[in-house]
Amino acid sequence: MSELPLSPRLVGLAVIGLFVVLAVIAGVSGMFSRLVLGVSGAKLQRSVDLAIKSLWLHKLRSFLSVLGIIIGTSSVIALMAFGEGSMQDALDDIKRQGATNIMVRSVKPSDDSATAQKSWVTSYGLVKRDLDRIETIGDSIVRIVPLRVFPTEARYLERLVNARVIGTTPEYADVHKFELTSGRFLTATDDQDRKNVCVLGSEVADKLFPFEDPVGRSVLMRTFDFTVIGVIRERMPTGGSGGSQAAEEFNRDIYMPLHTTVARFGDVISVRTSGSRVNEKVQYNQVTITVSDIDKVRPVGDSIKAILEQEHGPKKDWVVTIPLDKLEEAERAKNRFMTLMFMIAAISLLVGGIGIMNIMLATVTERTREIGIRRALGAKQKDIILQFLVEAVVQTSVGGLCGVVFGLSAIFAIPVIWSWLPSWVASGPLPAKIHVPSIFISFFFAVLIGVAFGLYPAWRASRLDPIEALRHD
Amino acid sequence: MAAIVRVVDLFKNYYMGTQTVHVLKGLNLTFEEGDFVALMGPSGSGKSTLLNVLGCLDRPTSGAYFLGEVNVAKMDDDQLSEVRSTYLGFIFQSYNLLPQYTVVENIELPLLYQGIKLDDATKERCIKLAEMVGLADRLDHRPLQLSGGQQQRVAIARSLVNDPHLILGDEPTGNLDTKTSVEIMQMLRTLNRGGKTIIMVTHENDIAAWARRVVRLRDGRVESDVRNDNRATG
Repeated sequence: MSELPLSPRLVGLAVIGLFVVLAVIAGVSGMFSRLVLGVSGAKLQRSVDLAIKSLWLHKLRSFLSVLGIIIGTSSVIALMAFGEGSMQDALDDIKRQGATNIMVRSVKPSDDSATAQKSWVTSYGLVKRDLDRIETIGDSIVRIVPLRVFPTEARYLERLVNARVIGTTPEYADVHKFELTSGRFLTATDDQDRKNVCVLGSEVADKLFPFEDPVGRSVLMRTFDFTVIGVIRERMPTGGSGGSQAAEEFNRDIYMPLHTTVARFGDVISVRTSGSRVNEKVQYNQVTITVSDIDKVRPVGDSIKAILEQEHGPKKDWVVTIPLDKLEEAERAKNRFMTLMFMIAAISLLVGGIGIMNIMLATVTERTREIGIRRALGAKQKDIILQFLVEAVVQTSVGGLCGVVFGLSAIFAIPVIWSWLPSWVASGPLPAKIHVPSIFISFFFAVLIGVAFGLYPAWRASRLDPIEALRHD
Repeated sequence: MAAIVRVVDLFKNYYMGTQTVHVLKGLNLTFEEGDFVALMGPSGSGKSTLLNVLGCLDRPTSGAYFLGEVNVAKMDDDQLSEVRSTYLGFIFQSYNLLPQYTVVENIELPLLYQGIKLDDATKERCIKLAEMVGLADRLDHRPLQLSGGQQQRVAIARSLVNDPHLILGDEPTGNLDTKTSVEIMQMLRTLNRGGKTIIMVTHENDIAAWARRVVRLRDGRVESDVRNDNRATG
């Protein structure tokens, strides 16, 4: 769940991209210096050499002044990666439920509701009539897949598994995009003939048949033998996100034809709840309606709600869940989160920029004499601007590059540290997904900050009076 | 000989708040090509201001300053920078070398601002100049590793690298002991004999004695202007 989607290819791509960005920046700044400052490329190159030289002279100071940039850049990259990673996890989960699906579930009305009867069998939920009416909504409905759920014990020889039997139609496999490791899924004939067949989830299959192929064997449930006709490949469960949405753990389910369940187990579902036995009469526990087009999800959902309100009246024994709603909500949340992350990171970059400006202003004061000497020897004002601007940009570019490297390493290092922390501090895995644009954007901003915050000190330096500057100690 | 520097009715005022200080009060001077001039005068006489104007570091308040045929008094900052970089060489009292650069890199510095490409040929030229001033074995030293005399020799080499029309010295021996001063003055005399025009400010008579012509200023006006005949020998 927390796999790091960082293939060597991606890293290679990022490195190449970074060089492209560097080349573009070099090109743009070359053009800038030629057009705006009227300085030749050779002179710019020389300025870069000189800038590196004078920064190297004050290694510690240069490092400290770009520390803010390094932290800013690396935090953009790391935060975006972890943000993207954890949000992606939630999004994938919702997508697995299918964005074009609408789920209608039967829920037990609360006891204190006006309609509650004190009888030994509670009857509630969706019925065949509801389905027939939903079907009349029209062409936009691709399929309606009802299902019934029974908790039950399944046996094979001496092995026993507490599983969940799901009675459904063959289309269920399409809704959840099942893949089979062996055998086949249910067919329409199985349903019509009420055959005693079942398809096992991977975990159930593993537990009941650890050493053999289950297909063709019989599993005992309640008093009936069911022939196994297929096994489903292991599958990620959908999380019970949002409270109203029940978690579906496909791996522990046993599937059988809907009509078979009615014929063998009857209409009444017995649920054992702490000590007492509650009997419930539910025709369908859940109905999944797949819609042809993502745009039609909402209108169809509204129609379904209208129908159910009509049919069930005040008895609120149904819930309509639309994964698309949650998907969009999650995407909005993700965008909000990413924007926020970016703002935080932008602030730290800004702080870094102010640090650079501070140091550059101090440097200009400290090197007033040098500026005077250069002016006396023929440097124009724009030469001085170029010199200090290049120095600032070299600093922030190097800082930005360090930040990229540092941020990328943090993406690997932090999950490791995370796993060492006690569980009350860090619960669950920390998924990360490298957000490639953030690498370029943050690096670009680092360079930009060099220009933005270097410009004023450079301008100040260029405005110094040569005579005054020469006299400066 | 052709006049290389000609100042006509040169005035320079400084403004300090509401007060106006008249530093140069209508100077008229002509210096010929190949001359070696010492500017003298008590402090406040305006000799440093004159040197700054001659060095194109400052602009006169009024009057004309012809460097060769061109009046540079009205030029803007960029043009003055170009004049400095192409036609002038500077030697300062405190050498004014850049501490982070080596001897060769310091000598090279004026070429950087001429917009010419720095390559092996320019480096060769800088090394030749360093050898000429006797620093062949110090090419990669930094200023702080050199004595004052050696630093001033680097500065002389630097002032020659752009092959200037005019070399300006601001008390070039002011920080040096007598023996080293003599060495430096000998070097300047050699340069002058080789055809270089030199104008330097000094307040020491025995340094001024090395020059061919001594101009004394007082209160912004020329006090005396004499040819040196009984020149000191080195």
